[in-house]
Amino acid sequence: MHRRLRLLLAVAVLVLAGSVGFARPASAEGEVDHAVEECIKSMEEANSIDVDCQESPNPLVPELNEVIWGLVGFAIVFGFLAKVGYPAMKKGMDARTERIQRDLDAAEAQRTEAAGILDEYKAQLADARQESARIIEEARQAADSVRSDLQARAESDIAELRARANADIESAKAQAIADLRGEVTALAIGAAEQVVGRNLDQDTNAALVEAYINSVGADR
Amino acid sequence: MLLSAEFPPLSHITNWSAFAGDGQIWEINKIVLVYGFAVLFTILLFTLGNKKKLVPTGAQNLAEMAVEFVEDGIAVETMGKDGKKYVPFLMSLFFFIFFTNIFEVVPVIQMPAAARIAMPMTLALIAYVVYHGAGIRSHGFGYLKHALVPPGVPVALLPLVVLIEFVSKFLVQPFSHTVRLFANLLAGHILLVTFAVLTSALITPKWYAIFAPLPFAGVVFFTAFEVFVSFLQAYVFTLLTGVYINAAQSHEH
Repeated sequence: MHRRLRLLLAVAVLVLAGSVGFARPASAEGEVDHAVEECIKSMEEANSIDVDCQESPNPLVPELNEVIWGLVGFAIVFGFLAKVGYPAMKKGMDARTERIQRDLDAAEAQRTEAAGILDEYKAQLADARQESARIIEEARQAADSVRSDLQARAESDIAELRARANADIESAKAQAIADLRGEVTALAIGAAEQVVGRNLDQDTNAALVEAYINSVGADR
Repeated sequence: MLLSAEFPPLSHITNWSAFAGDGQIWEINKIVLVYGFAVLFTILLFTLGNKKKLVPTGAQNLAEMAVEFVEDGIAVETMGKDGKKYVPFLMSLFFFIFFTNIFEVVPVIQMPAAARIAMPMTLALIAYVVYHGAGIRSHGFGYLKHALVPPGVPVALLPLVVLIEFVSKFLVQPFSHTVRLFANLLAGHILLVTFAVLTSALITPKWYAIFAPLPFAGVVFFTAFEVFVSFLQAYVFTLLTGVYINAAQSHEH
């Protein structure tokens, strides 16, 4: 529909533009010729050169054909604009305004929704942070508690081990003293037996004791 | 000699020969051709501009700007929201006048239809009927009293005031409405012809041909100026029509 109308309009433009080619200059031969002919005729009829037609046309008197065509032209423009041009344009512009308004409203609604979601996310994030802080604190407290327990237990174990080691040492020492005492006793008896069994001179006794002691030392 | 350059008589720069129907009531001359172009261009503008693109470009942009200009800048500006019903009429006035005016600077044609009194007078009379019609529709039989009797005038002065108001609103107003458009466009046309004739007279083998660029610059300048005048006078005529309609139908004085 629009394409056909545009084609028609283009043809009309070409026709009107072509007609410009026939436009003659302002010194308009046709009109002047026509006016001259009329004037000559009037002068001949009046048998005088003193006739009205020799005066220039009054520029304040409208030409009837221009008034008529002006009315026709204006009526076409008005009819077109009132029935087709303006309502169509207005409808298109109103539809666009409505569409833009609708889009703006939708965008506003989406923005509000997004803001709500953002608030919700922020609240959730704050909760999560709070929760994580709580968990970390609990873990820290638990770790502290475990460490204290372990430390206490280790200290207790160490004390116990130390006590046990001391006891073992004391026991071993007592045992060693007892053993040594028995050994010394045996040595003394042995030495005494040697001394009693062979009454030798001082040097021999001493050599015997020394030899005995060495033999005991070698046995150990 | 330059001083002997012949300036064409007024009738030679405003009267145009007939293309058809010489001397007939339906005679078609250059002025009628300009009317035709104005009709065509208005239809073209609103046909090509009637697109539904969200972001207007080209003809659509121009047409929408024009609609908003007349609607908001003239109708609503002069008559408020009630003026919207007159938008098609005011748009018709504006575009018909503007497109017929602009042919003053269109090569080959170079003649504004409003430089002949027929068109301004016809449009002023149409506007006259419309604004008085709007007054009668708004006030009924009381329109004459509304138009002629300003409130608060002493009774003794009433005959004089009524006479002045009658002459002003019913006789001078359409005349001034006509002449404002007609005289402005005719003056512009004469100016362009004057500078063109001067330029033409100076294009000669004589020494004073060196001055030819001066009037030619005048032609260029006044051509641009007349584009502005074409728009301005179309706007003023349409705006005044809106003001007259508003004054006629207004319930305030």
